[in-house]
Amino acid sequence: MVTNEVAKSWILLNNEIMVKHDDEFSLHKDKEAVRAYFLEYVNKNTVFFYTLKEKIDYLIENNYYINFYEWFTFEEMERVYQYIAGKKFRFPSFMSAFKFFQSYALRDDSGEKFLERYEDRVAAVSLFLARHEGIDHALQYAELLINQEYQPATPTFLNAGKKRSGELVSCFLDEIGDNLNGIGYAVDSAMKLSSIGGGVSFNISKIRGRGEAIKGVEGRAGGVLPIMKILEDTFSYANQLGQRPGAGAVYLNIFHSDIEEFLDCKKINVDEKVRIKSLSIGVIIPDKFMELASKDEPCYLIYPHTVMQEYGKYLDELDMDEMYDELITNSKIKKKKVNARHLLVKIAQTQKESGYPYIFFKENANRQHALNGIGHVKFSNLCTEIMQVSEVSDINIYGQQDTIRYGISCNLGSLNIATVMENKRIEQAVKTAMRALTMVTDVTDIAMVPSIQKANRELHSVGLGAMNLHGYLAKNFVMYESEEALDFANVFFMMMNFYSLQASMEIARERKSTFQGFEKSAYADGSYFDKYITRDYFPTTIKGSELFDGVAIPTKEDWKVLKQQVQEHGIYHAYRIAIAPNQSTSYIMNATASVMPIVDTIEVREYGDSTTYYPMPYLTNENYFYYKSAYDMDQMKVLRLVSVIQRHVDQGISTILHTNSKDTTRDLARYYIYGHKMGLKSLYYTRTRKSTIEECVSCSA
Amino acid sequence: MKQYKAVNWNEPDNDYALMFWEQNIKQFWIDTEYIPSKDIDSWKALSPEMRECYKKALGGLTLLDTLQSNTGMPKIMDHIDSLQNKSVLAYMCMMEAIHAKSYSTIFTTVATSRDIEDIFNWVQQNKYLQFKASLIDKHYRKLENTDISKEDLFMGLSASVLLESFLFYSGFFIPLWLCGQGHMVASADIIKKIIADESIHGVFVGLLAQDVYKKLPNPEKSKEKLLELLNDLYENELKYTEEIYTEVGLTAEVKEYVRYNANKALMNLGFEPTFEVKRVNPIVLNGLSVETTQHDFFSKKSTNYEKATEIVHLRDDDFVVDTSIAV
Repeated sequence: MVTNEVAKSWILLNNEIMVKHDDEFSLHKDKEAVRAYFLEYVNKNTVFFYTLKEKIDYLIENNYYINFYEWFTFEEMERVYQYIAGKKFRFPSFMSAFKFFQSYALRDDSGEKFLERYEDRVAAVSLFLARHEGIDHALQYAELLINQEYQPATPTFLNAGKKRSGELVSCFLDEIGDNLNGIGYAVDSAMKLSSIGGGVSFNISKIRGRGEAIKGVEGRAGGVLPIMKILEDTFSYANQLGQRPGAGAVYLNIFHSDIEEFLDCKKINVDEKVRIKSLSIGVIIPDKFMELASKDEPCYLIYPHTVMQEYGKYLDELDMDEMYDELITNSKIKKKKVNARHLLVKIAQTQKESGYPYIFFKENANRQHALNGIGHVKFSNLCTEIMQVSEVSDINIYGQQDTIRYGISCNLGSLNIATVMENKRIEQAVKTAMRALTMVTDVTDIAMVPSIQKANRELHSVGLGAMNLHGYLAKNFVMYESEEALDFANVFFMMMNFYSLQASMEIARERKSTFQGFEKSAYADGSYFDKYITRDYFPTTIKGSELFDGVAIPTKEDWKVLKQQVQEHGIYHAYRIAIAPNQSTSYIMNATASVMPIVDTIEVREYGDSTTYYPMPYLTNENYFYYKSAYDMDQMKVLRLVSVIQRHVDQGISTILHTNSKDTTRDLARYYIYGHKMGLKSLYYTRTRKSTIEECVSCSA
Repeated sequence: MKQYKAVNWNEPDNDYALMFWEQNIKQFWIDTEYIPSKDIDSWKALSPEMRECYKKALGGLTLLDTLQSNTGMPKIMDHIDSLQNKSVLAYMCMMEAIHAKSYSTIFTTVATSRDIEDIFNWVQQNKYLQFKASLIDKHYRKLENTDISKEDLFMGLSASVLLESFLFYSGFFIPLWLCGQGHMVASADIIKKIIADESIHGVFVGLLAQDVYKKLPNPEKSKEKLLELLNDLYENELKYTEEIYTEVGLTAEVKEYVRYNANKALMNLGFEPTFEVKRVNPIVLNGLSVETTQHDFFSKKSTNYEKATEIVHLRDDDFVVDTSIAV
């Protein structure tokens, strides 16, 4: 709200970072901006309480907090608050302070005064998570959070402990069946899940193509586009009380007859009727397609309804390696011929113009999938890191029983690699984080969408991620594209996998309960452990050994023990690790986002509601060289690093391609080919750095 | 008898036409790609004075873009010999029309019909706005004759550069200033696309003007004439700024910004800057940068993507990749 027309001093100071003196940015202005922000804004707008007791009681009595007295005495709560205060937390950058107060701090009902500082939020989250486990666990969570070793995803961090709050889970996925009941169920779910703040993704590959038959009459079906339009409007309508726009994604199998139309919806100059503005799109690419492109053989797009009529199965559930030749020789299957390479180039062109589509490599995702005995991974989510089994539900008319199958529900959080490594607390951090995530699945019960509810109840999936990889490497003088970085990632993520698995086993042992279907998984038959019990994963470079100095690294013997324990007690979570892109939360942690390289030494960050300048964490004149922009990196090397991390991640990794506007569609397509061959499961956005006219003039001059 | 020539892009006319053509094509956009309706709440939260200022600023911009697409570009085109340069100008002319319409897209989304009517009336009544339009138009109208002096052409081109690189910015100030602080952000996406276009238009027409300037019989005299025009426009611009920015208290900052851009216009024409500029509001200056920014796809549309012109097909060897890895 503009109350007066003078620019706020902290925003001016933050902008002044960009003013250069002697060719150096004015980095010190950022600290001045933090100071001004607190003195002139935060402090003036924070409700003051004389004592902690007064504050807690006020927050509970006025319906801001849940009644923590049901689980803790005041003295216990005081211990948590005092422990946190003793850590003397200070925001290291304007961005982190601004983002926290702008988006996370509890405000009074007028929306004008703050009721919480960072320390209070940490305390509330810790108490909330530990309320059935007791004060010792609350202190463990508090330590983990105030050390900034672990950051719960936004919905958890924002809502935990609040009386009037949204859900703690952020991410949902579901299939859409090819009939009006199925579509209606999806639209209904989209609205409900979006209104509680979830990002929702749908697999629309089962929908019959444009021009296919309805009730036997040819030429009547509208294809996938009209459904996308409905979903787009549904998401923009059902926002979270206007707080943030609803967001959704749809995935389509590349063999679907509507694929070209699907890709065209993001082009710049396209008819309004078929343009999709805010809905995200992703393409499901089976190995067969890449094989056709590689051999330059003709590729046939298939009309899915004809497949259903002929085989009684959905096109996207068929194994294309097995069925493709059968489909193209069967004259009852309607198809159209395209050139596979041209289709790859079309994807590249669409990415250059819009950043979309995401790419999901279906067989890569299923090759490493430990739950193949239960079902397959069909598609991914809004951030392309969730990869879980799903199966379409059969929705009936009123009064008849629906058959509800697995949707996907996932709650997320990320380790901060830098603090975890520096404190040498990988094991404790991973295990405490796994517990925190488990608590969230325990309390989550999305009854209004039964397929989502079923998945959470039976599979207890979580997604532990990691952030600050580039920040940590740069701080330790390791180049992101180097062999040392590969070495570090290979060991670190192996450890994350080990301890998360151990934590999951411990929780299963404690609760005497596993996820449903454990006995059919690769964990139960032990095959999951093959790659870990045959070799050790120790650092192979000198730098790598230095980084892990003083840290106990699990050996293949440790893995053998873990394998036995898992086979004996089972594990609690069907899925454990997923590397999310974490945008806002990495700012609060003053970390580089996810495992991706930075884009700029000082990032210009645009949100729907502000523009902020954000100097990268730990940046100084000495280590400047190590903050190489993703746009200047060899993308193949970035993908190579991701492939190493992917070895140890049971779900996926949000992988962003950073390209320059002079890169051709062929360059982009070559990244897809490389990513596919390196076993990547998905590619997220493609970002493009524009060339400026100064650059153009100087090139030609 | 007159011989008609077809534009031949196989032979470059000069070393920049093709580059500008391609850059223009890449930057192509249309107003309806953007979603100013996201700003409706933000609009309602602005003070009445601020809304008034915003509307007037955009109204003024609409007039300038209209002048540029209806008169400026077509008249200039008549006197440019290179057919490729002409093509670039024709494309720019089309974009100016899109710009002029896009302000209406913002208006239509946030303001009432009554408000919009008032603004267009205000544009017609406002003496400073009318003065600058008529002054620029005077130089354009001279180009209506087929037989004109080199100086007339130079002045016509210079008027165009002054309009593109200088006069627009008093209007751009407010959307950039608000956007930097989180207000009217979706509409600012449109404004930023316009700024990216105007910046290449200014550079391109500036290069054409410099070509003509080299061939002038009495360059010093022409330069004086140019500076005189700049000065008249500058004096008028100060008054215009006072009229629309005083109530929101930004007059001094906008004036500084006006001087900053006057210097930029002179540089596009190949001359030294003449105005002393102390400190331009950093929020607005940063908003002016047309380089790539980070954004969150879920909360806003990006202004970073451009029409793909680099389409290259795949070959067999693209599928042969080295998958070896050190660890």
